[in-house]
Amino acid sequence: MDPTLFFEQVVNGLSLGSLYALIAVGYTVVYGIIQLINFAHGEIFMMGAFGALTVYLVLGSPTDLSIPMALCVLLPAMILGGMVLAAGTALIMERFAYRPLRGAPRLAPLISAIGVSVFLQEFMRLFYGRIPGFPDSKRGIAFPRIEGITGNNIDIGSVSIKMSSIFTIAALLICTAALWYYINRTKTGRAMVATSQDPDIARLMGIDVDAVIMRAFVVGAALAAIAGVAHGMYIGNIDFKMGFMAGLKAFTAAVLGGIGNINGALVGGLVLGMVEAFAAQLGPTAWKDVWAFVILILVLVFRPQGLVGAKVVNRA
Amino acid sequence: MNENLLRPVAIAGAGLGIASIFLPWAYGPRILDDMTYYFGPSFLQVCYALLAVVALACLVAHFFLDRMSWFARVIAWNDAAKAASLGAVGYAIAVIIAIAVGGGGLINVEPGGWLALGGGALAAVSWFLPASKAPIFERLRCPKWVQILAIAAVMAVLLFAAAFALNQSEADGFLVFAVFLGAAIFTFHATGFFGWLSLAAANNRKVLVISAFTVAFAFPFTQNGSDANMSVAAQVLTFAATAIGLNIVVGLVGLLDLGYIAFLGAGAFTAAVMSKSVFATLSVDLPFPVVALISGTVAALFGLLIGTPTLRVSGDYLAIVTLAFGEIFRITMINLDGTDGPNITHGSNGVPSIPNLDFFGFDFGQSHEIFGIQIGRFSNYYWLLLLVIGLIILVFANLNHSRIGRGWVAIREDEMAAESMGVNTFGLKLLAFAGGAFLAGVAGSVKAYTDTSVSPDQYVFLESAFLLAAVVLGGMGTIMGVLIGATLLKLLPEKLRYFEDYRLLLFGALMVVMMRFRPEGIIADERRQLEFHDTDEELAEEVEEDLTTHHAHLNADKELP
Repeated sequence: MDPTLFFEQVVNGLSLGSLYALIAVGYTVVYGIIQLINFAHGEIFMMGAFGALTVYLVLGSPTDLSIPMALCVLLPAMILGGMVLAAGTALIMERFAYRPLRGAPRLAPLISAIGVSVFLQEFMRLFYGRIPGFPDSKRGIAFPRIEGITGNNIDIGSVSIKMSSIFTIAALLICTAALWYYINRTKTGRAMVATSQDPDIARLMGIDVDAVIMRAFVVGAALAAIAGVAHGMYIGNIDFKMGFMAGLKAFTAAVLGGIGNINGALVGGLVLGMVEAFAAQLGPTAWKDVWAFVILILVLVFRPQGLVGAKVVNRA
Repeated sequence: MNENLLRPVAIAGAGLGIASIFLPWAYGPRILDDMTYYFGPSFLQVCYALLAVVALACLVAHFFLDRMSWFARVIAWNDAAKAASLGAVGYAIAVIIAIAVGGGGLINVEPGGWLALGGGALAAVSWFLPASKAPIFERLRCPKWVQILAIAAVMAVLLFAAAFALNQSEADGFLVFAVFLGAAIFTFHATGFFGWLSLAAANNRKVLVISAFTVAFAFPFTQNGSDANMSVAAQVLTFAATAIGLNIVVGLVGLLDLGYIAFLGAGAFTAAVMSKSVFATLSVDLPFPVVALISGTVAALFGLLIGTPTLRVSGDYLAIVTLAFGEIFRITMINLDGTDGPNITHGSNGVPSIPNLDFFGFDFGQSHEIFGIQIGRFSNYYWLLLLVIGLIILVFANLNHSRIGRGWVAIREDEMAAESMGVNTFGLKLLAFAGGAFLAGVAGSVKAYTDTSVSPDQYVFLESAFLLAAVVLGGMGTIMGVLIGATLLKLLPEKLRYFEDYRLLLFGALMVVMMRFRPEGIIADERRQLEFHDTDEELAEEVEEDLTTHHAHLNADKELP
């Protein structure tokens, strides 16, 4: 393989993998604590992207901003908006769809989660475009142009790297650091670890388990919202369906790394991104979406605890 | 308020309500089913009168209770009156809304309509009457022929109601009739009649099954050759057959399969490529039963392929893996188009124009005449589907009550305990998975011929979610429930085109609400109900009591000569 092409695919794989990793953390954190596959997490990712778009529209669709303005004011505001919408949705969802079902047979929350997922997609499809001045959400919406990122490339030798790729990879690095700090160095983070190890004992130790679960949803939603913004800039448009495939692949990444294990989700995401990038390059493009699922099935056959090792494997 | 005052008021209200049907309710004959005549009540007005008459009869009965001896306790007279009069109010409101929406404003409601509402509201003061004692209706011993007759009558009413509902081409008539059905069921429930009926049904299971199938079989004759309705009915049956297959996997074994539609698709594609369509890539001339078996087997092989690796790990993974498999299936079917893979399915175009089935010279595409009634193409397929669904129900019911079925339930309730008691959990799970796939494959082969074309976009994740919703809505682990769930989920969107855009939104919300408030579904499997409400001691006792009295009755009846 031509080295230029090779490095380009490595960058593609890393940025795709960063996206998956950011979303996968949400699956893994929630699963680690309440053993629930939050099927609607892909829709939280979608809400993040729409939240960012909303902020942009509310600000009056600013164009012709200078690069520092765009990067230091507009982009953070959009990310924050995405996080607020995603986290808000996640909290409402947790409160009304999952919390009442804690302790029910495991099928019940999973079915509820499917309902939430369909509901959120349809809700955005039907009602987002009805807000005055907002674009029709039944079709794909072009993601706002951020000066300095959208359409810009950096050339390193003969390899040309999109700025949006760099943003995505940088976002993953920053988020990983922040997440590490939160989990290992803050009191609430430690409480989260304790709860995931043993919720009953954690409760006896005075930890408010409900609050911990809500925080887990918020952490997952915040990272998914960043992924949503990154996805919008990387692909160029967003739509109400974007969470389905992305969520499915991110879940694959979480299983690949070992579900319940945060490091595993990061590793799994990156590995999956790489595999997809190279499979798309080497194999026929029509089959590119199949590989993730083939990997998922292979992992479950040969290493159900995942690459890094799951916290729980077979708690039936 | 004093009962001596309440009762006459309620009686007067019910009387007024009955009188109201002899007045016009609506201005303009186009609204609902023409409620514009004096002394010429339309069908929907008669429906109202039925509720009012029941209310009136139950209210008046009070004055004769002393002379009725034991019969006084058979029916919960007061409760029935309350239910009927509330139903009448609800129905009148529904009709008035329908008239207002259909005609453009409340101005279109004639005095008769208001009288119906007022009469119903007056009758509804019966709500403040004291509650009846628990009715002893269900403890009534009846000769067998009465029970059989009752079952047959209920089935006939069902047939008529289904035919009438299907014939409502407008959403408003359909909705109003649905409200009436709801009110009628509510009333009958209050009398205690359903308890008796379910005992009668349990005593005469064979009669029930035979009459249900007779009614289903007779359904095309009520349609007067209208093939449009039969096409809907055929769709409902396909959907129900697949949902019952899914119910084995989800309801009995508790494995969440989110890619079940892929097995239906596998069967449909297999049948399609083997058909005599000019687009079929593997045209072989085989009789249809063989094709159906091959389709089922192909689907079952897919089931084994997917089940073998994933059934060993925890159930949560299975949901996602089956979902992934559903996607792989769809993408693969699109890609087997000759450019990205071998040409088997013609890619996203699929296999169109599949010729009709031909059984020993009987062409399924031809319409023909029986008893002077035109029987169209879809009716033929409807009967074929009925056969398939009968087969699936047979498999389901027999497995459910066998050693295998008990093993499945044990796995569902506690897999580890089941395993340590010597249940071969992996084998049984695999059997359920592959067996469910087989049934879906058979249903798919019929679907291919009914629809005359098969394309990958019919087999998307949402369809799997809908199947699951039918199972969840109707009641996991029951046949009746899933039949009802499947009918509701297919029929309502067909009849309520107006809401089409909101269909999925409502569907999503429904899943969440169902899981929250009634996870066991409309018709609950008793054991399943307990499982979902394991902290509810009262319910546990109730179910236990029900079961013991129920069985005591069954045994008592058997002892009779």
